[in-house]
Amino acid sequence: MNFANTPSFANQGLQPGGRLFLCVLTSLALLIGDSQYGLMEKARDAISVVLYPLQRAANVPLNLTMQVGDFFTAQAALKRENDALRERDLIQSSHLMRMSSLEKELQQLRQLNALAAQPSHAGVVAEVLYTGRDPFSYRLIIDKGSSSGIASGQAVIDENGLIGQVTRVQPLSAEVTQVINRHYIVPVMIERTGHRALLYGFGGGVEVRYLPISTDIRDNDLLVTSGVDGVYLQGIPVARVKQIDRLGGAAFARVRSEVIAGVQSSRFVVIMPNRRLPAAPPVPVSPPADAANTDKKSP
Amino acid sequence: MNYDRPQELLKPVKRRFITLTFVVALALELLPLPQGSNRWLPDFVALLILYWSVNQPRRIGIGMAFGIGLLADVVSTSMFGQHALAYSVGAYLILLRQQQLVMFNLGQQTLVILVLMMLIQLLMAVARWSVGASLPGLGYFLPALIGALLWPLLTKLMLLPYRSERH
Repeated sequence: MNFANTPSFANQGLQPGGRLFLCVLTSLALLIGDSQYGLMEKARDAISVVLYPLQRAANVPLNLTMQVGDFFTAQAALKRENDALRERDLIQSSHLMRMSSLEKELQQLRQLNALAAQPSHAGVVAEVLYTGRDPFSYRLIIDKGSSSGIASGQAVIDENGLIGQVTRVQPLSAEVTQVINRHYIVPVMIERTGHRALLYGFGGGVEVRYLPISTDIRDNDLLVTSGVDGVYLQGIPVARVKQIDRLGGAAFARVRSEVIAGVQSSRFVVIMPNRRLPAAPPVPVSPPADAANTDKKSP
Repeated sequence: MNYDRPQELLKPVKRRFITLTFVVALALELLPLPQGSNRWLPDFVALLILYWSVNQPRRIGIGMAFGIGLLADVVSTSMFGQHALAYSVGAYLILLRQQQLVMFNLGQQTLVILVLMMLIQLLMAVARWSVGASLPGLGYFLPALIGALLWPLLTKLMLLPYRSERH
């Protein structure tokens, strides 16, 4: 029956050409439906749940080797790490003491100004399961999903800075689009001056676009989230300026910058809570919601 | 030639084995490998689809290639239909000349597979490009080349469980 080269005399069903036509038509429909209208999210959810055990199984060997490696860590290395951590702890606790007093002060000032207090910075820690093989999309898959209260639109950071944003949530996993993805835009400000700008991902890196030539920006300036969008908390480091080209003929400076977070290397990430629910993202609201509210209250 | 498979006696291939190979290939995609690895790591699912449609055309045809392509779409976080389109076209082209292909020796097969793997990658790039991604450079075809070079090894591996003891 199943010898390698049995000719198939009795063809059942459609001819190969017909089948191909059907398949190509369906995939084109799927492509358009998925990319233009986002119709396939339910199906994607279902398939991803089915594939979840496979995902975990693929992670088992790596986790095992990591555990075995941890077990055989040399005592000297542990000692060294312990010392370093203790030193860092000392420095950070002094920072924290100052922070807490400052935070109290800030709270009071905010209350005075009748502004909504920022939520606490508690995030959810998640592990990166894998990065998609598709070279066009800079995405990560993490092991927390809607069952852990993750919602689409939340910011994702690691210990150094911003990694990206949750763009697709499945019951047990979620997809994070990295800042270096094409069409990804983060509102940032130059930490030194407070000047606001937009940071564009272009597929493999980030750059600041539409910055007037006269702007005060230097090499090694830190770009942090400005917090004006209501998605990212204010002050998360995003990128560091590497090189600035001020060409005579152009209206805008070309600012090359480098992402700070380990977008391609971090194994653990923190998913930050949303500042507030973004009001209907595609519709550009002219004044920010807060300002409108305070305006109503004040008279 | 030693590699000519029609001279060997093979046991029939079990459906379970085919499924297992695809599960392993999909699991390979899910491995948390360093990000740069997709610059050289070949698309094992595509390679397997080509392999089985050369050797078991009754089992893995255009329809199956399409279905597995959908799974690969979800696994690799790409657009829905991107892999499905490329895989079903690849399987169709194999089926057109399957009876010739199966008589080829491994070197000739490898050449055909190289062309087909490149075509599959090209189709995916075009699909992505048409919905707004930029076209990749020539390095994008390196995985296809490596995949084709792995073809003889893959063939030998797949035949291992199905050699009959008497020659």
